[in-house]
Amino acid sequence: MEELNVLLVDDEQEFVTTLAERLEIRNMNVSVAMDGETALGIVETESPKVIVLDVMMPGLNGLDVLERIKAIDPKIQVILLSGHGSTKDGIKGLKLGAFDFLIKPIDIDELIIKLNEGWKKYCESQ
Amino acid sequence: MKDGKNTVKVNNNQNELTFFGKITASMTHEIKNVLAIIQESSGLLEDILVMPESENFTHKDRFISTLGRIQTQIQRGIDITSNLNGFAHSPDNAIAQINLNDLIQHLSILTSRFARLKRVELVTELSDSPLIVQANSVQLQMYLFTAFEILLQHIDSGTVKLIPVKHEDQILLHLHYDLLTDDQFNIISTSDQWKVLQSKMVNMGIRIVLSDDVLH
Repeated sequence: MEELNVLLVDDEQEFVTTLAERLEIRNMNVSVAMDGETALGIVETESPKVIVLDVMMPGLNGLDVLERIKAIDPKIQVILLSGHGSTKDGIKGLKLGAFDFLIKPIDIDELIIKLNEGWKKYCESQ
Repeated sequence: MKDGKNTVKVNNNQNELTFFGKITASMTHEIKNVLAIIQESSGLLEDILVMPESENFTHKDRFISTLGRIQTQIQRGIDITSNLNGFAHSPDNAIAQINLNDLIQHLSILTSRFARLKRVELVTELSDSPLIVQANSVQLQMYLFTAFEILLQHIDSGTVKLIPVKHEDQILLHLHYDLLTDDQFNIISTSDQWKVLQSKMVNMGIRIVLSDDVLH
């Protein structure tokens, strides 16, 4: 099994960098991006296996970024992240190929379970 | 919509309510982002404290218990913010299909402070099946709050239970107050404010039943 590379995409810098540090403590390789364009660049160069992607961001929104990620590499598993409880974005995202959907603030243990499930799915689709 | 002046007033104010709701909903997202950063930051501190390198840190236990309190308050903030977000979206549709169970659950959290200031505990006992009404959500919440507010004006301790149930073609909302006296019951139920409210609620297919015992 390959090493798990995670990409976190969220325009809240403090959130994304702190979460990255927590995942690194748990021995994950983590990259961060604060917008969709940067995230797509990292997808091309660093080949993350699982991406945690905020839905509402300035510029390209999460659902647009999701579509482009899937066009680059459909094996990459995307977990969408939203700040509100509406399931509308989640359903849209699942239709576009997202692996799962989480509401912010997130529980770290739940996130780790999802990341590992996403990684497993990535490896199975190789 | 059947009822008179208040309905017209709400409809005339629909744009203002929508604006108010939109801004409030947007701010609840911002607050959630703040809570998420606090949560991750306190989580990171906890992660660091359980590392082997922190084994000899003198105040480790005090830090961990304090971080636990922070986490509890973050969760409290998330619950309040989520309910406020739902409330802010209430004016999105002038008329909506509403599950009274959900509405009462949200409203009980949003109004808990009013109860706490009167030393009253507010609890809900929701129906197992959905209780759907077609109504203006803002108006319905305002009426439910008014019923609760009228009751609070006459009490200063005890427990109020909100129990919605389906009864034939109607929905009954039991407002059960454990310390209700006959005097309080008579004053409230014969007041003009209560009668007007009851008639508005009946127009929405809901009847409020004030009691000290849900079995009566």
